[in-house]
Amino acid sequence: MSTANFLELLINGLITGSIYALVGSGIALVYGTTRVLNFAHGELLMLAGYLILLFAVTLGWPLLVASVITLAIIVILGAGIQRLTIAPLLRRDDWAFQVVAATIGLSIFLQSGAQLIWGEQFQAVPYFFPGIVVIGELRMPWQRIAICLIAVAVMAACALVLYRTKLGRIIRATAQDSEAALAVGIPAGLVHTAVFSISAALAGVAAILLSPLISVNPWMGTSYLLKGFAVVILGGLGSFGGAVAAGFLLGLIESFSVAFAPSEWRDVIAFTFLIAVIWVRPNGLFSGREA
Amino acid sequence: MLEVFGKRPFLLLLLYAALLLAVPFLPVDDYILHILTLFLIFAVFATGWNLTLGILGLKTLGHHAFFAMGAYVSALVAFYGGVSPWITIWIGALAAAVSGLLIGLPILRIRSMPHVAIVTLAFAEIVRLVFSNLKEITRGELGFWGIPPFDPIQIGDLTLRFGIGNAIGSYVLAAVFFLAVNLALLTLLTSRPGLTFLAIKDSETAAESLGIHLSTWKLLAFAVSAAVVGLSGAIYAHYVLILTPSSVAGPEMLITLLAMIIVGGVGRFFGPIYGALLLTVMSEALREVGDYRMLFYGALIVVFVFVAPQGIAGLTRPWRGRSATDAARAT
Repeated sequence: MSTANFLELLINGLITGSIYALVGSGIALVYGTTRVLNFAHGELLMLAGYLILLFAVTLGWPLLVASVITLAIIVILGAGIQRLTIAPLLRRDDWAFQVVAATIGLSIFLQSGAQLIWGEQFQAVPYFFPGIVVIGELRMPWQRIAICLIAVAVMAACALVLYRTKLGRIIRATAQDSEAALAVGIPAGLVHTAVFSISAALAGVAAILLSPLISVNPWMGTSYLLKGFAVVILGGLGSFGGAVAAGFLLGLIESFSVAFAPSEWRDVIAFTFLIAVIWVRPNGLFSGREA
Repeated sequence: MLEVFGKRPFLLLLLYAALLLAVPFLPVDDYILHILTLFLIFAVFATGWNLTLGILGLKTLGHHAFFAMGAYVSALVAFYGGVSPWITIWIGALAAAVSGLLIGLPILRIRSMPHVAIVTLAFAEIVRLVFSNLKEITRGELGFWGIPPFDPIQIGDLTLRFGIGNAIGSYVLAAVFFLAVNLALLTLLTSRPGLTFLAIKDSETAAESLGIHLSTWKLLAFAVSAAVVGLSGAIYAHYVLILTPSSVAGPEMLITLLAMIIVGGVGRFFGPIYGALLLTVMSEALREVGDYRMLFYGALIVVFVFVAPQGIAGLTRPWRGRSATDAARAT
């Protein structure tokens, strides 16, 4: 393997990893705070992909405006899903599985809906950032580098909110003990909705960054949801930092796996890695520390 | 804990047997027999999955992997090995059971719903991709065709032929299979080991304090459930005679079965059977509007979770069995 080849795999791994980290950290945030697994999380990403396609390409708005409006809509959608389909179920005895079933139903409903509205063709968004970076023999489009940088910046901002602000303290308190949080006057219901909104925004950012690289299609949410789930388990359930680290790790594993096996085995390798880790370390790779 | 079975499960099964036996003597055409055959196969699939999902309370989301496993292993051995499907279906079921043990071991040590759900889902994805990637032997998504049907059976001067196109033979086979599996499962579940299963579902801690070896029982239940589902997959393969990885192990299979179980009733032994009947008939009625089928199933799952979480089987309960949670609250 030449240096340029190695660098290329490394950067590709970091790019894929940053998307997995965005998706996974959103799922982990929701699970850590509310103990809810949202199977419709991937469809938030898919819908954000179609929205950015609509605003930035079809309507030709400036990218920043299109992104802000897309994120605003996705945040409202995420909060709406939490309010309408998840919150009412939480009062039941068997809520954990019922939430899973309901969000799986919602997920396939949104997928089929998107297929009926936008059709089955895969649609690409042009690169937002022109130009090529040259590192020695390696040539990389700026767009790909930008994905990584923006993703890291967004997750860093998220971590700052979680660990350095009052809202973050409230979220972490609810995650630790929601009844005690209620007792000191924290409105748990609102916190849950807020967390869902942040998680939806993370999925939205992932979709905007991804849209030029993969074509937007009704089923794009499923594969990222599965990878996001894998990342959440690998990082230790509900740990925000663990999910980010595991996201990058999984991205790198997938990227370097093409050096050993044809690319159609990439996902098999990723999921086999997940199951192998569960065998050895059920509580994730970084167990011992909770977010 | 016996509310799982309803009032007289064996009598109900006898009634089903009578109904199924009556069908060939009614004026039904081949098309109706075909739909009923599919229903019977999927009813067993749903019942097998419900063993873990409802009866044992293990929230697995990857049983379509075992269906695909049974279907493909049986079909491949029959096709390449020239072995009779009457024998290969058991090899398929065994393969499913072994893979059930393999995936069951790590997740059963962890009492965490998300782990179980996600790992089983990931496993199903692995199985789908493996059958899809082994193009040399499975032809991948192009479809594995040329699967031999079951060998004909000679009864006196009547010859029963099987496989798609031989409606009456296929129907009889599916009906016998359905009744045999249900009888076996009912016998198992109402015996001492079966009651152990139910005790585990009601209260893990209490069951453990009575000296029940939880992980062994769960693993056994998992293997039985995987074997039943694998067997239904094998029967399916030798009926439709063509397989593709996405049709047997793809997301649509997961959604269809989940809808059957939720609509019929999780945690009721006979629940999934009603769901399978309703959805098989409905999906045939919806053939004209194929694109809307998944949209409809998705909506159906959401509506049932909200309105009737116990499914159809839970709607008709004039008597209320004391559930474990009630009992726990009472103490």
